[in-house]
Amino acid sequence: MSLDEPSVARLMAASQRGDRAAYRALLGDCHTWLGRYFARRCATYQIDDLVQETLVSLHRKRATWDSGRPFLPWLAAIARYRWIDMLRRQRNEIELGEGDVAIGAQDEAVHARLSLDRLLALLPAGQAQAITLVKIGGASIAEASRISGQSESLVKVNIHRGLKRLAGLVESE
Amino acid sequence: MKDASIDGLIDGLADDLEPVRPRRITRASLWVGAGWLAATALLLWFFGMRHDLAAMPVLSMLSFWLIAAVAIAAIWSALRMGLPGVGRDYGGWRWTALAALALPLSALFVGLGGERSAIEAARAGVYPCFPMALACGLGVGAALFIWLRAGAPTSPALAGWVIGLGSGASGATIVALHCPLDDVIHIALWHGGAVLLAAVAGRLALPPLLRW
Repeated sequence: MSLDEPSVARLMAASQRGDRAAYRALLGDCHTWLGRYFARRCATYQIDDLVQETLVSLHRKRATWDSGRPFLPWLAAIARYRWIDMLRRQRNEIELGEGDVAIGAQDEAVHARLSLDRLLALLPAGQAQAITLVKIGGASIAEASRISGQSESLVKVNIHRGLKRLAGLVESE
Repeated sequence: MKDASIDGLIDGLADDLEPVRPRRITRASLWVGAGWLAATALLLWFFGMRHDLAAMPVLSMLSFWLIAAVAIAAIWSALRMGLPGVGRDYGGWRWTALAALALPLSALFVGLGGERSAIEAARAGVYPCFPMALACGLGVGAALFIWLRAGAPTSPALAGWVIGLGSGASGATIVALHCPLDDVIHIALWHGGAVLLAAVAGRLALPPLLRW
C-alpha cells in the first residue's frame, strides 16, 4: 500500500491536535508503510522490532513534524534513524562478543538483501561477506569463519567495521 | 510479523495521545537570538565596547563578519536539524567554515613572513579573548542544545559539531565587539581557537545527550 501524502499529513495534523481516532488510523497506515520500508533494508526477524521502535519514536517526537512540510520524508527520517541505531547496536554486540548467536535465516531475508546489496557493494569484500553471512544469513561467527576462511576475530572485526561504515553510508543517503 | 503486538502498541499509543504544540524554528530562533543578545549585553556591560567600533580596521571588520557568518550558518543548520526529514540538507555551515579558514591561513603566512615571530605576536595578544569567547557562546549553545534535545536530530554527531561551532563562533563574534587588538595572529589564535575548541567539545560531549 502506498500512502497518500495529503491524507496522512491531514491525519498527522489532527493527531497533533489530540484526535485519537485520526492518530490510530495514522499509526495503522504507518505500520504498513514501515513494514515495507524495513523489508527492503534488513532481515525479516528485525522488521517487527524496528516497526515498533519507529512507531514509539513517532509518538515521542510527533511535535517535530511541521505541518508546512510533507509527512513521509519526516517519517522516513525517523525510520532511518532507528535503522542506523539498530546497526550501531549490532556493532556494539559484536564488540561485547554477543554476536555469536545464530539466527535462523528465512526465505524473506532474500528480499531484505535487495537494497542492502547496493550498500554492501560499497564495503570491502571481507566486511561485506562477514555481514552477509552473520547478520543476514544468520550464521554463527564460527560458521562464518569456516565458510569465509577468515579467523573468528577477523569476522568480528569485519562486522564491526562494516556496520560502522554501513551506518555512515545510510546517514549520508 | 507479530501484528497482534503491534496492534496493541498502536492502541496504547493512541490512548496516550495528548495534543502537542508543533515545534517551530521561528520560536527557537528567538531563543537563540535572546541568548546572543544577552551575552552581548553582559559582555559590553562589564567590559565595555572597543572605542573604534564604527571605524574598525578592515582586517578586524572582515574577521568579524567571517566568524559571524560561520555562527549564523551553524545556528541555522542546528535549528533545521531539530525537525528531521529525508533529503534535507544541513551542510550549509561547511562553506562558511571553509571560507573562515582564510583567518588561520593568513595568520600562518604572516607568522612565517618574518615580520615578527608568531610566538611574539601570540604573546602580545595575551588577552582574555579565549575564555571570554567560550563564555559568551554559552547562551547560544544552551538554546541550541535545548532545541535539539527536545527535537529529533538524526545525526547526533553532526548536531554536536554544529552546536559547538555555533556557540563558539557566536561567542567570538561577541568578543570582537570588545577586543581592541587587530592582529591577525591574535584573532586566528585566540578568537578562532575558541571556535575550534567549542566545536570539538560539542562533538565529543553532546552526541550521547542528543540520542533519542
